Amino acid sequence: MKEIFTMWRHTQMVVLVALSAAIYAAVLIPFKSFAIVPGFIEIRPANVFPVVFGLLFGPAGAWGSAIGNLIGDFFGSLSLGSIGGFVGNFFLALIPYKLWGAYFRNRNMETNVNSGEKLAVYIATTIVASLACADIISWWLSLLGLVPFTVALALITFNNAIMGSILGPFLLLALYPRVKRWGLLWTEIMEPDEVATSGSYNTGSILVWFGSIATAVAGVFLGLSSGGPNATVIGFGLLIPLIVILIGSFMLGGREQVEAAELMDAEEETAQVR
Amino acid sequence: MAPSLYLDRDTWIHRLDPRTKMFLLLGMFVLAFVFLSPVYEAVILLLVLFFGYLARSLSNLLRIWFILVVIAVFTIILWSIFGSGRTPLFLFVEREALLYGISIALRIDATVIAGMVFLSTTRNEEVAIGLVRLSIPYRFAFAVSTALRLVPTVAATGFTISEAQRSRGLDLESGNLIQRIRKYLPLLVPVFISTVRSTNVFSMALESKGFGASAKRTFYFQTSIGRRDVVVLVVFVALLVVTLALRVAGYGGLEGFTR
Repeated sequence: MKEIFTMWRHTQMVVLVALSAAIYAAVLIPFKSFAIVPGFIEIRPANVFPVVFGLLFGPAGAWGSAIGNLIGDFFGSLSLGSIGGFVGNFFLALIPYKLWGAYFRNRNMETNVNSGEKLAVYIATTIVASLACADIISWWLSLLGLVPFTVALALITFNNAIMGSILGPFLLLALYPRVKRWGLLWTEIMEPDEVATSGSYNTGSILVWFGSIATAVAGVFLGLSSGGPNATVIGFGLLIPLIVILIGSFMLGGREQVEAAELMDAEEETAQVR
Repeated sequence: MAPSLYLDRDTWIHRLDPRTKMFLLLGMFVLAFVFLSPVYEAVILLLVLFFGYLARSLSNLLRIWFILVVIAVFTIILWSIFGSGRTPLFLFVEREALLYGISIALRIDATVIAGMVFLSTTRNEEVAIGLVRLSIPYRFAFAVSTALRLVPTVAATGFTISEAQRSRGLDLESGNLIQRIRKYLPLLVPVFISTVRSTNVFSMALESKGFGASAKRTFYFQTSIGRRDVVVLVVFVALLVVTLALRVAGYGGLEGFTR
């Protein structure tokens, strides 16, 4: 996770944080959401952005999504619940690029959904990131006693996963070549020594998956078994699986993605010289 | 279209230091979470509305009233179903669960209105400088303030693209869920590209003006904690202490509610 701090050294990454946040917040305004159940469940097209930002801009996308969600709250719904939204959206963008690097290490790591395998991995990472994001926000809202865990979990997971899975692949296909041509992929901006390395990708991936699913299952179980969604029980009961998600994210590293991008650039330059 | 909630009024709340306003906002959040009784929560809500009145920012309620109503209705229904109590009211709904739902609805609405008052009285520049003065790293504060400034521009671009695509026959209202979601692609791609392609020029412009050249920065816009800020903070802390003392003494609870 070293890169989430070292990225602030790069002006381009700072600008990408600001632009990602502005896009995420601004798309909520003119592109109206459409309701599944009017007033309660709605799909927001902007929800596709965190995963796409994460895969293209790495840590800048994660900060951008977190800040963008907070700014979205600035336009009418800023409250204590916004803290959970900030952290949840950060992980919604962080987990995809971490898991992507872990799965495609020593292979073509380009975050372009141009094969069946990459599409499957994209959808899987979108679902687990949506679940982790929903776990964090639902836990926080439940701890504050604002919304029952199970209700928030179902709504947020559905909202993020459906938009990310359906719209995300098309968006990535359209955007990846342009962002790469402009030299704005995070792997092209950051240096390898600024990004953490990992010796345990498999364990990290398993922990993120396990933590996300375990938090959701335990949250639903605790909410139902104690005769209702008890804030204290859920607040403390879910701390361990949430920490597991955090530890798993720490273990996933990311340096190999930057090194692979450097190698690819060098090969392309050599090919051009020839 | 005016995405910002800021209202340019000359009130003493507008003139407070942004750090004071941030502490007041945080204090309001704490106040809203002290009580469980709907009556006490209603008093807190009235206090927040009084602040809004003093800040002459209640006109912004017209812009968020729908959100407030939806949140209130949703919360009351939700907790009436998920909560439980001792006194049956109708069907499976107990009196205590309904009261708790009303209390939480008032609590959420109070915090959202407190956020609205803060945003109505604090400019983006003040938010940024307030964050820096609270020892938040400058680059982070810069990203937040730049994003805040760019939102109206990006939103306007999105609105123009949306209108242009509709005039070419894009119909977002027809088709099943997946078809409708996919129709957003011709809208989202141009918004993204038109915004992100300026990154390199933006970065070069910043660096040419010395962005990050020295660790210590100076600011054109100055803020300071004055006597008015100190008085407001002391009064608010006293209010907070009284509120907490009342709660510890057993007031403002909700008997019989179990979650």
